[in-house]
This record gives sequence, C-alpha cells and structure tokens, in this order.
Amino acid sequence: MKKLLIILTLALTLSANEASQIIKKLDNNMRGKDVYMKISMSIKSLRHERTMKMQTWAKGSKKSFIKVLYPPKDKGITFLSLNNEMWNYIPKIERTIKIPPSMMLQNWMGSDISNDDMVKQSSLVDDYNPKIIKKDAKLVTIELDAKDDAAVVWGKIVSVINTTHYTNVKDTFYDEDGNAVRVFTYAKVKKFGKYYLPTIWTIKPLNKKNNLTTMTIEDVVYDKGISDKYFRKSALKRFSR
Amino acid sequence: MFKLAIKNIFYYKGRSITTFLLTFFSATLFIIFVSFMHGSHKTMLHNALKVYTGTIQIYQKDYRDEGGYDYLIFDNQKVFNSLEKIKGIKSYTSRVETFGIASSKNNSSAIMLTGVDFKKEAKISELKNALKTGKYNTKSNCLYIGEDLAKKLNISLDDELSFVGSAIDYSFAADIFKLCGTFKTGMYEFDNSSAFLNREYFDGLFYSQNASSYIVINVNDLDKNNYIASQISKSIGKDLKVYTWQDLMKSMVELVKVDSIFGYISMALFFMVIFFVILIYGFINISSRVKEFGVLKSIGLRDIDIDKILIYEILILTLSAIVIAICLGGSIAYYFEINPIVIEGISDMYKDYGIISDTVPTDFDIFTIFWNVSLIFSLNILSLIYPIYYVRTFTPVEAMRHV
Repeated sequence: MKKLLIILTLALTLSANEASQIIKKLDNNMRGKDVYMKISMSIKSLRHERTMKMQTWAKGSKKSFIKVLYPPKDKGITFLSLNNEMWNYIPKIERTIKIPPSMMLQNWMGSDISNDDMVKQSSLVDDYNPKIIKKDAKLVTIELDAKDDAAVVWGKIVSVINTTHYTNVKDTFYDEDGNAVRVFTYAKVKKFGKYYLPTIWTIKPLNKKNNLTTMTIEDVVYDKGISDKYFRKSALKRFSR
Repeated sequence: MFKLAIKNIFYYKGRSITTFLLTFFSATLFIIFVSFMHGSHKTMLHNALKVYTGTIQIYQKDYRDEGGYDYLIFDNQKVFNSLEKIKGIKSYTSRVETFGIASSKNNSSAIMLTGVDFKKEAKISELKNALKTGKYNTKSNCLYIGEDLAKKLNISLDDELSFVGSAIDYSFAADIFKLCGTFKTGMYEFDNSSAFLNREYFDGLFYSQNASSYIVINVNDLDKNNYIASQISKSIGKDLKVYTWQDLMKSMVELVKVDSIFGYISMALFFMVIFFVILIYGFINISSRVKEFGVLKSIGLRDIDIDKILIYEILILTLSAIVIAICLGGSIAYYFEINPIVIEGISDMYKDYGIISDTVPTDFDIFTIFWNVSLIFSLNILSLIYPIYYVRTFTPVEAMRHV
C-alpha cells in the first residue's frame, strides 16, 4: 500500500513537472527573449466587419507595446503595458489614458480579445497551475487552473498543445464559475529562427454566435534586442507617429 | 333579537368596550400601516420610473441579453412614426449608450456615456430637475455628469475631461469634453458612473445618427401602461421588443413584494393576538351568560335565535368600531398622502433601495382600506364561532343550572 502511494505521488509530481515543462516551452515559443510582430486582425460581428493592422513589441510578460497602423482613422493609437499597468495614447486628442485594471477584461477595440490578451499581462507560467489531462500521440491537453493569488481574468484554461514544436492547437477559456467563454484555435505553424508559432489565430466567443475574430501574424522577429525605449510612457506619444 | 342585542351591549359594558376598542385600534392601525407600506413602495417605484427608467422601453431583440452595438435600433424614425399613432403616450425619446473610460488630469473611471436629446429628456426623466451645478441643456462638447462621478474624477465646472470608447462601427472614438453641468438623482451607482452628451454631438462622434440603444416612453396613465405596451408591440417591427417597467425593474418589484410579505407577516402576528383577546373576552362573557341563555331557551327561543343575538352583538360592535376606524385611519392616510412625513436623512440611508427623497407619503386607496377592514371584520366574526358552539352544547335545563 505504501509503495502504491509513493508511486502515485511520484507519478503526479512527474506529471505536474511535465505539464510545467510543456507550458514553459510553449510560453518561450510565444515570447522568446523579446518579440516583434506585425498582425492583421479581422473582426466580424452580426452587422459589422472590419480589419485592423498593428505592430507589437514585447519583452517578457511585463512589458509590451502596441501601435495601430490601420484603419487610417485609428492609425497611431498606441498601448503600453508595464508591470501590470496599461496606458493608451490617442493622437486625435493627444492624451495618454491609464486603463483601469477593472477594464482589462473588456474587449479590445471591438474585437473578441480582451485588453489583457493584447498585452499578455497574465502569464501561463506564473499565474496558472498546469495539469496534464490527456495525451494523444503528440497532442497533449493541459488544464491550467488559476493560482489563488494570481490577478487573472480566467478561472481555468484548457489548452491543447502540439508537442512536436510546442505550439498551441486550441485553447478554451473558462470563467470563475467554470463556464466555457471562448475558444482560440491556431493554425499554420511557421518557424521563425529557432521558434515555432501558429500564424493564424481564430477567436470565437461562445456567448456571441455571430462574432469571430481572426488574427493573422504577418511578420515575426524574435530576439532582436528590442530597445527599452518602447517600454516607457514617453514611447506612447513618440512612436505614435 | 336586534333590540335584545343592543340591550346586552349596554348591559355588558366591559366586554363591549374591550371588543370595540380592540377592533377600532387594530383596524385603524392596519389602515395606517398598510397605507404607509404601500405609500413607501409606490414612491420607491415611481421615483425609479420618474428619475430615468420611464414606464416603457423599446429595444432591438437580444440587446438586453447580448448587448453591444450589433443590437441597436437602427431606424428610430420608423419607431417614432408608430408611436405617434398610439393614444395615451405622454412623451418619448431615444438614448444611445456607450461605455468607455473618462479621464481627468489625474483620475480615470469606467463610465456610461449616453447621447440624449436634452429637450425631450426633460419631459421624460428627472435629469433636468436633478441639476446641481452649471447647465442642463448643454451643447457641442459639453458634458452633463453625475455629481459623484465629478468628485471621483476630481473635476469641477469648465474643467476638461477626455472620453475613450468605441463608435458604433467599433472604430476608436475619443474626444475632449468640457464639464458644463452636474446632477444628483440620489441613485449612487447612476450618479457615480453616468455622463450625458447632447445627441447631435454624440452622433457625430459615435456615428449613431437615427440609431439608439433603446427608446423610452412615458404614458399619461400608469394603470393603462400594459395596454399601451401591447399596442406598441403590435405596431412596431417583430425585431423589436417592448418592456414595461415591471420587466425593467424586476429586482425592485421583487424587493417590494418581499418587503410587503414581511410587513403582512408582522401584522398577521399582531392580529393573532387581537383575535385571541377578542375570542377570550367574548368567550368569558358568553360563558358567564349561559344561565341567561337557558332562561331564553326555556321561554321558547331556539338555538338559532340565541346565535342571532350573539351575531348581532358582535356585528354592531365591530361595524361601529370599523366605521370610526375607517374615518380616522382613512383621514390619516389621506392627510399624509397630501402632506408626507419628512424624515431628514432617510434618502441617504436607503438610497440603495431607490429612495431619493426624505418624504414618506401614505397611499390612500379606498379599495385597500376596504379589504383591510374586511379582514378585521372577518376575524371578529370568526372569534364568535367557538362561543356559539359552546352555548349550543347546553340543554335549557343544563343552561339554567349552570353557575
């Protein structure tokens, strides 16, 4: 009986370690040391359809900067996330606005992704406890439960990961009550330097049947040593032009 | 029998006075209690309707469940044309609501910015009367905001504040506004998070021409509200849905119901006591009169005649007490409906329940008074059943020998 308990404990520990390792490799693929991306976003809802283009610069999970390129009306709008705080600069009114933490779950510019998704403040590695729930050849399904002390918006994320190159296949996000809220599906994995990244992300909110957001990653550059000047409040106005 | 009953009432003064006074006080108290309870509930609901909600609202189907710009009403004029043909509508207007971040120099806050026609709005809500500082009918990029929101953003009249949200095509909408007026309705959440902008400027910024989140309507006679709502429902498109104030304020209606139930439960306990006191007094009196009933039976009166005497006695006492109670209780209810009691600070204490004034009026309603006293009357009649049964158990001989 004792032996069985030891084996069981060991198996659970190994499984948790394996899940953590997979998530770390996945996170590394997403973030690198630093990452620059050019993204095109198509947003469809019941009555509207529009396209946006933007550039993003990110370093770790604490620093990220976004600049909107298209449509012309929104060109130059910038976002900065720094140490769990978020600011927004709007050239039209020449104002920098601090986004309250309570609005991190709000949709970003009418899309189906939240402010939190855009700046990736919450980290799968630091804020969630991973647990493998299914293995199917190279596909591993991991359940990520939010840590008690983590300031995150999702109660649970169930992530299907392709362990060939450690890339996402599908993420299902659950609220604190355990209800599935939205599904991310990923396609067209490409290699960028030593990193692998799905280049088409489809976001489907489950409570809005007519909505669909598709993000196409058009360009990615990893580890080019992004300057810290992007991650200062002054950058919001400076790089807006 | 009737004359005999009257003689008995005057002869057994103790029992008569006790029954009369208990009936009188309980009926008066019940009328006043219920009128105050209904009055405060009615005020609560009316305040809420009057302040902002209106009595009927029209939405695009799914707006209230899904929300968002996809479910706006995109042809206000068509709905307005239908409303013009319906009798009993006092006023109507459309509102467009958007949510975003308002920022002053030092503070930011998530707010609801609503585009309104200030002139029409004055006929439908209390926004104009809630003015605290500055102007109500603001123009161009002037904002009319809740006093508590102004405090939160730490701004005063003529200060600038920016708003960032999205236009109805989901593009970015941002502008700098001037604070031109503040209001206080007493509803904390509303005053803490609401701002209003004139419709013309709002439409230019958010591309919401001829669109609205909902159309709000006030009717001439609240009692005909549901009928008018059904008329509107028939005349507008199937993609639109009509909500009455009962639908819109379900939680408050429920709160009022629960409060009424607790009110009636406490009154029911009080009536139980009154009922048993009358029953006991009546029973003691009747049991002391068994010998008298024995004599009456022996000279030829039937059981039914004895019953009649007792019923007449309680009827005379109860009806006389109730008539006076109606006069006194009704007068008090009527007086305080016209001149409500003012309790300083009550609105602050109960603002979460929709109380926005310090006055506590009664609700004078003849029908309510009628059922209040009917209940007291029924209880008094009920209190006679056992004593009658008790008297009937005696034969004339047994009754005459009863000590």
